[in-house]
Amino acid sequence: MKSLTINHLSKTYFDPYAAKHVTAVQDVSLDVPEGEFVAIVGPSGCGKTTILNMIAGFLPASGGDIIVDSRKVSGPGPDRGVVFQSHALFPWKTVLENVAFGPKMRGVGLKEREEIARDYLALAGLSHAAERYPNELSGGMQQRVGVVRALANEPAVLLMDEPFASVDAQTRMTLQEELTRIWQARRPTILFITHDVPEAVFLANRVVVLSKGRVLEEVEIDLPRPRSWDAMMDDERFKTLSARVLQLVRAA
Amino acid sequence: MSALAQVDAKPSMAWKRLRSALYFVFPLLCLVFIWEFTVRIFSVHPGVFPGVGAVLKAGAESIANGSLFLHIGASLARVLVGTILAVLVGVPLGILMGVSPGVSTILTPLFRFFSVLAGIAWIPIATLWFGYGFGAITFVIFNAVFFVVAYNTLLGVASIPPQLRNAAWSLGANRWDMLKEVLLPGALPNIVTGIRTGLGFAWRGLIAAEMIATNLGLGYMLFLARDFYRTELIVFGMIVIGILWLLIDRLVLAPLERRTIERWGLVR
Repeated sequence: MKSLTINHLSKTYFDPYAAKHVTAVQDVSLDVPEGEFVAIVGPSGCGKTTILNMIAGFLPASGGDIIVDSRKVSGPGPDRGVVFQSHALFPWKTVLENVAFGPKMRGVGLKEREEIARDYLALAGLSHAAERYPNELSGGMQQRVGVVRALANEPAVLLMDEPFASVDAQTRMTLQEELTRIWQARRPTILFITHDVPEAVFLANRVVVLSKGRVLEEVEIDLPRPRSWDAMMDDERFKTLSARVLQLVRAA
Repeated sequence: MSALAQVDAKPSMAWKRLRSALYFVFPLLCLVFIWEFTVRIFSVHPGVFPGVGAVLKAGAESIANGSLFLHIGASLARVLVGTILAVLVGVPLGILMGVSPGVSTILTPLFRFFSVLAGIAWIPIATLWFGYGFGAITFVIFNAVFFVVAYNTLLGVASIPPQLRNAAWSLGANRWDMLKEVLLPGALPNIVTGIRTGLGFAWRGLIAAEMIATNLGLGYMLFLARDFYRTELIVFGMIVIGILWLLIDRLVLAPLERRTIERWGLVR
């Protein structure tokens, strides 16, 4: 099962400035079934990035379990693909080499892994950029490649850490629409972190509102797909759901 | 007409290179002119400082009898071997220091201490260990390059954004992959800069060491000429030392550095 379950996850660390232990994440339980798109929203400092870093294995958990693909995990691994806020592409590799990196680590041969990479680049309309270096691309293109690189490794779960926060508003909307399209085409299991309420509602099947390191509420998003911003702008359901989540976040 | 206008607006790469080379050579030619002029009007004794003609003649002589190439060959071989050894040891050590805070903590004071000593301070003990000649001088070169390369590699590894390492881990990289695919290429621009800087030190150290510890090489050539009061051969040797370094730096090291840095957009 390509699913993600976290049970009673918590994180405390020692703050040397305040000279006391601080709780960043407290008893968070969450279930992302196979093929589902779940978003976590919350104000900055609510612990959402800490949760993602623990799931990715970049940060050890203080307590609780993380179960991916029916296996308890600790430390980073290819079963959990990560899309970073800053694209984190390797500047010394071409776009194609970046996307082929995961398959290469699995031991896939040159020809086959380049085929995989080209296939995924085509999915995101990036075929023309295959031979270019990351610094030659616009911010939006870099983020697209970051998403494609994580997808091409076919992880059980895709973890996305505010991946569109640093691109301009127009590009962000395009990227969001592309992501929903790719999700519908390939149905990866996605956990998406953001502080942007409309983004979370637009993308996800379920939005988890986080506050002070705890889950405040989960909201089902039963909007029809495919979703586009043109349609959503005037959609009453979208507005109602966004308002509801926004209220929760502001109360948080 | 339109083709001409285009050439005017965008001078070709070859023309740009030629022009910057001319800009570089022109002040040097001025210096040669002033030198000859001064020697002539003050009738400087050749035993104090030779004229341009005498130096050219001495140069032609040492080229004709082949001794110049023997000296240059010996010097370059020492530099090459010393540098290769220094890179082979310095890069892995620098990476180890960059990855492990423990190793870095223990080695940093040693590096600070020995980087001051790097160079000709080692000649006396090096000649005791290796005897006069190739070994001792190569050791001095090694010392000059090693510390700079190791330290720059450390800086290079430290400058790789942690996100890149996290990305590699989560794409399934193991430790060996991390070294080969992330740490080495990420630190490469710094490593090349380190080699360039280190070789600059090494070249100076080489000439000094060759004056003391050998009977072949450019430094020895100068020192030997002094014994025979041949100022024209001394000055010729100095010019060769300067030009040779400029050629190595401009034609090999600088382009190598530029290429690794520019291609990846890692302008620092």
